[in-house]
Amino acid sequence: MIDAIPDKISRKFKEKDQFDLNRNSQYYLLPFRFHRLTDEKEIIVNEVGDYLILSNGTFESIVKRKLDKEKDKDLYGDLIANFFISEELIPPLIDVLATRYRTKKLFLNYFTGLHIFVISLRCEHTCHYCQVSRVTQNRDLYDMSLSNIDKGIDIMFKSPNPHVTMEFQGGEALLAFDHIKYAVEKAEQIAIEIGKGLTKVICTNLALINEEILEYCKEHDILISTSLDGPKYVHDKNRNKPNASSYELAIKGIELSRKLLGHDRVSALMTTTKLSLDYPTEIVEEYFNLGFQGIFLRNISPYGFALRTDTSKYETEKFLAFYKKALDRILEYNFSGYHFTEDLAKIFLTKILTPFNVGFVDLQSPAGLINGVIVFNYDGGVYATDESRMLAEQKDYTFKLGTLNDDYNDLFFGRKAQEIAQLWANEALTGCSECAFQQYCGADPVHNHATQGDMYGYRPNSDFCQKNMEIIRYLIELMESDSRIKRIFESWAKTATH
Amino acid sequence: MQFQNEIKSNEVIVFADASLYSKDSIFKCLYWYGDKFHTNVSFADSGTYRVSLKPISTNQLSNLELELLLQKLERDLIDFNLRDIVTKETQNVRDLLIAKAFSNGEFDEMPPGNVSDPVGFNVNKVAND
Ligand code: SF4
Repeated sequence: MIDAIPDKISRKFKEKDQFDLNRNSQYYLLPFRFHRLTDEKEIIVNEVGDYLILSNGTFESIVKRKLDKEKDKDLYGDLIANFFISEELIPPLIDVLATRYRTKKLFLNYFTGLHIFVISLRCEHTCHYCQVSRVTQNRDLYDMSLSNIDKGIDIMFKSPNPHVTMEFQGGEALLAFDHIKYAVEKAEQIAIEIGKGLTKVICTNLALINEEILEYCKEHDILISTSLDGPKYVHDKNRNKPNASSYELAIKGIELSRKLLGHDRVSALMTTTKLSLDYPTEIVEEYFNLGFQGIFLRNISPYGFALRTDTSKYETEKFLAFYKKALDRILEYNFSGYHFTEDLAKIFLTKILTPFNVGFVDLQSPAGLINGVIVFNYDGGVYATDESRMLAEQKDYTFKLGTLNDDYNDLFFGRKAQEIAQLWANEALTGCSECAFQQYCGADPVHNHATQGDMYGYRPNSDFCQKNMEIIRYLIELMESDSRIKRIFESWAKTATH
Repeated sequence: MQFQNEIKSNEVIVFADASLYSKDSIFKCLYWYGDKFHTNVSFADSGTYRVSLKPISTNQLSNLELELLLQKLERDLIDFNLRDIVTKETQNVRDLLIAKAFSNGEFDEMPPGNVSDPVGFNVNKVAND
C-alpha cells in the first residue's frame, strides 16, 4: 500500500521561486583558495581542484558577502554548484565532495608501486653532468649482488600494491644484463605464485642493445625506457661516449627496439641541460620526427647546482622561457591535427580538468617518495627516490631509509620515513597551505633539501615553486585565451586518464 | 590616530588596523617577501600594526620600484587577509570533508530532510514495501 504524506504538499507545478529555500542571500564559505592571474583576472580553486576564473575583485565580494543572489545569479549559481559556497553550514552534498576528494587522493590507496633496482653503477658513457656512474670493470664492487637482488624482490612483493613495477637503472643497466635476467625470472615466478601484477622496465642508453637482448625483452614483456636529449648536436654534447656518437647509437637502438618489441614498447626521456635551453623547438621536432607521441620537458636537474642564488632564479626563468617556446611548437603540431603531447602539462591538466589525479613522485601530495617509489641501490642501500641515491653519491645520506637487510616495516614506516612524512604534504607547508594551485602541485622534500639545504623548503625562492606556479598559471591562461587550446588540453587530459 | 603608508629612506611602511587585519594574515603575507627584504612587524599603537620592508643589500631598488613595492604590499595584505578569513571560516568543514574522504563510512550521513516524490508519495515507505 502506498501512503500519501498528509502534511506534505506536492511541489509539482509551482512557480520557479517556490523551489528557492533561501531567499535572503545568506551563504557560508566552503574551503577554496585564490590567486591573481593577471591584472584583470583572478582564479579560485576548491578543495577538489575545480576552478572558476573571475574578474578582479570578485574574490573579495564573495568573502565579504557582497554577492547578491538575484543580481549575480549566474555567478552565485556557479559558486553553489561547484562547492565554493553553500547555503547551509554543512553542505547537503558534502558526501559527494568527500568522494571526489577521495578520488583525487586515490594514489594513496595502493602504496609503493615503482621499485627501482640500480642494477649496476658501471657505465660506458662519461656524461659531464652525471656524478653517479663509474667507468670501471669492477663488477663485484659496482653491480648489485644476486643476494641483494633476492632481498629487493622479497621487499617489493611485500608492498600492498596489487601491481608492482620493477625498473632497472644504472649506470648503464645493460652492463649487468645477466643480473637483470636473474631478477626478471625470479620476480616473474613469485608474481605468478602470489597473484600480483608485475611490469618490468629497463632504462638504458641503448648503446649495448642487440637482437638477443631484445628477443629476451620480447619474451618477458619488458619495456624499454631510453634517454634522448634532442638532436645530435645537443644529445652528443650532453652525453659523451668515448669514440662513438651516443645519439647515433640511441637512434639505432630505438629503431631496432621498435622493430622487435613494437612501437609503443619504447619510450624516451630527455634531460634538460644548459645547452638544451637554446634549442626548444629543435628538441620538440626531434621527438616528433622520430614518431613519439609526446615529450616530457623536464626541469634542469638541480644536483650539482647551488640553487639558492640569483643564478638559480635565472636558470628557472630560462627554463620557463624554454618550456613556453617548446610548448608553442607542440601546440602548432596539434593545430595541424596531430596528437602530440607535453607530459608535464598533461600531468597538470589531468589534475586541473578531470576528477582524477596522476601519481607522479614530486607532483603529488603526500609526495610519491616511499608512497609511490622506492630505490634499491647497487650496494644494498634503500633510498626514498632516485634523486636521494644521487645525493648519496655525494656523501649525503639524508634520504637513506636503511639497507636491504632491514625489515620492511623499519624501511617504510621507520624513523626516517616518519621524519620525511612530517613535510611531504603541501597542504601543511608554509606558503603552499593557502596557494590556489596546491591541488595541482605537490611536495618534494628531496628537492628542497638538495637545493635549499632543508627538507621543509622555502617557497619564495624555491625553483620548484617558481616553475610549477608559472607553468600552471600559463596553462590556464592559454586555455582561457583560446578555445582551440582548451580543446587540445582536454584531449591530453582525457588520454592521461584512460 | 591616523597613520599614513609611506616610503622612508629605502623602507616601505604600511599600517594595518588590527581590528580588520589578522596577525596570521600579516605574517603569511610577509613570508613571501623574506627572500629579498628584511621584514618587520610592530605595533604603531595598540590598535595598529606597522609592517615594513627594507631591501636586503643585494637588492637595490629605484624610487619607482619602491613605489610599486608599496602598492604590491598594500594589495597583498588585503589578499592575505581575505585568504585568512576563508581558511578560518572553513576550517571545520574542511576537517569534516577530509575525515569523511578517508573514513570507511563512519562519517556518512543521510541527506538532510525528507525524501519525497514530487507527486507526494512517501518514498521510504514505498521502498520498504
Ligand atoms: S610549491 Fe608553490 S606553486 Fe606549488 S603549492 Fe606550494 S606555493 Fe603553490
